[in-house]
Amino acid sequence: MSSTAETAPAGPQAAGRWDSLIGPFVPVLHQLTRLAVLLFMVTTLLFFMLRLAGDPALVLAGNDATPEQLEAIRAQYGLDKPLIVQYFNYMGNLIQGDFGKSLASGERAMGKVLTMLPATLLIAGLAMAASICIAIPLGAWLGFKPERFDRRGVSGIIFVFQGVPGFVSALIFIQVFAVNLRWLPSLGMDYGNVKTWILPSASLAWFLMPSLTRVVAANTAEAMREDYIRTARAGGAPGYSLLWRHALPNALLGAAALIGTQFAFLVGGAVITETIFAWPGIGWLLIESTQTLDFPVVQALAFCIAILVFTVNAVTDLSFQYLDPRLRTKGN
Amino acid sequence: MTEVKISRTAGLLGGSEGRTFSWDKIRQVANVEIVIAGTLFTIIAVIAIFGQFLQTHDPMQGDLLKRFTPPGQEGYFMGSDHLGRDLWSRMVDGLQWSMACAMTANVLNLLIGSTLGLLAAEKPGWLRIIVNQFVYTLQSFPGLVILICVVVVVGQGFITLVLTLGLLSWVVYMRVVYAEASSLSQREYVQAARLAGVSRWAIMFGHVLPGVRASLFVIFAFHFAGLLIAESALSFLGLGAPLGVPTWGNMLAESRQYMIRAPWMLVVPAGAIVTAVVTMNLVGDGIASLARKKGPSIDA
Repeated sequence: MSSTAETAPAGPQAAGRWDSLIGPFVPVLHQLTRLAVLLFMVTTLLFFMLRLAGDPALVLAGNDATPEQLEAIRAQYGLDKPLIVQYFNYMGNLIQGDFGKSLASGERAMGKVLTMLPATLLIAGLAMAASICIAIPLGAWLGFKPERFDRRGVSGIIFVFQGVPGFVSALIFIQVFAVNLRWLPSLGMDYGNVKTWILPSASLAWFLMPSLTRVVAANTAEAMREDYIRTARAGGAPGYSLLWRHALPNALLGAAALIGTQFAFLVGGAVITETIFAWPGIGWLLIESTQTLDFPVVQALAFCIAILVFTVNAVTDLSFQYLDPRLRTKGN
Repeated sequence: MTEVKISRTAGLLGGSEGRTFSWDKIRQVANVEIVIAGTLFTIIAVIAIFGQFLQTHDPMQGDLLKRFTPPGQEGYFMGSDHLGRDLWSRMVDGLQWSMACAMTANVLNLLIGSTLGLLAAEKPGWLRIIVNQFVYTLQSFPGLVILICVVVVVGQGFITLVLTLGLLSWVVYMRVVYAEASSLSQREYVQAARLAGVSRWAIMFGHVLPGVRASLFVIFAFHFAGLLIAESALSFLGLGAPLGVPTWGNMLAESRQYMIRAPWMLVVPAGAIVTAVVTMNLVGDGIASLARKKGPSIDA
């Protein structure tokens, strides 16, 4: 803010007008600057790291290439120039939106990533929705009267579920539903066949649900002890209205933070789940392209993931300001 | 996921003064959960330390005539795998590997994360900006790419795995220490020390760090569970332990081809992972509830 005032040419009045014009967008500009710095750091780090890991010319030419062929490929792709020159060339292309072509298939790297993205978003969205649908009612029920015997039992079960890693539950699901019961296919993906969606998203949901339930339950229990609940109860509000109208909205605020973190984690590619189910999403592509040292694709992927994670986090922050009236008044 | 949980729990603790552990306090808060946590933890620790004496077979040596022996038969009390190797002995080896990995990586994380957190809280200015930006980058950076690159260059192994996990997953520590140290350094006793001319480093490690200690114990336990999961997931993908080393992740990966014939090949390592993770989560909860019962507070 102060810098805009300094650079404004005219007197204090003009600066004031300039400020009021740009004022509402300052947080957005601030976020965009952060995103730019983030993307710059991610691409730079990755560029040098990937070059340390292997020689793209070798990947392109294959193992049985002659030294002459290698030289030719290096000259063709500009790999014979010093690393720092290559870096600036790469960044120059990147600013123009050119991520280069996949070394493995020759497709445009960003195009390849974008064709894989919907598959990841599909299971991420389904898993998130399923997890929320189970966790919020269950958590509210647990937190309403946490000291009851039945709820303590259920809490214990949820606690154990929380210790089950995603890939273990995926394997157990395959064992039960694909191998023993033969209800669902164990791997593969088909947009037209809903059956192929179920196991991957269910095992992700299974992994997300316990921690979300626990947070909702803890927050509900905490909210139920607050003064405003006592006041409402003294005013004669019936039990379940206390829960649904007074305690739960506050409990969900805390849950929103966790939902944001979980979703950011999912859009980054649920690598192992996608690998287990041979699900062609960006997590699977990440492993595949890094192992074959397909540099342009890895770069495009990291770029995409950084933007997605950043956006999800920013939206979470913003939705907080919208959901929590206390932050709204404090913000301005 | 653990991250959120940790910062929540840590937030409940505040900066707790007084001793974190004492027999009196344990007796005060001892409940079923803490007893279960302690028991399970002791069992795991005993197996991890005395594993060599508890193994019934050579974990690497198979007997092809006894492939796929179901649990409890012919002396294999957890069954045998596709090469006739004893699953119990392999599970013990896997336990030792996992614990060693998670422990080493966790200590590295603790050292890096809490030092950076303290520095960022105590030294405002460019250092704080750099540390925060670095944390920020690390959070949206696919760490797996780094691990795969290292694996491509130097190969799989204990050092590769532990260093990658140790150098990349300290963000939890940094955030919690940063948050708590920032508020602690505004307290009167720290201000007084500062006015008395105590050096910055002495304030950081002598005055602020002890206030964060209880939270560090809690994170250590929860993060330990997270690292156990990460380690077995990476071994499962073939990026962690070298092939042939018996680890839970490798055992799970091997079990995939024999799901119909020998489901116990899945059940044994899966059960081991779940038990270990649940135990560490219980221990974390236990430490948190011990620490929440604060001793006499300085500014009370």
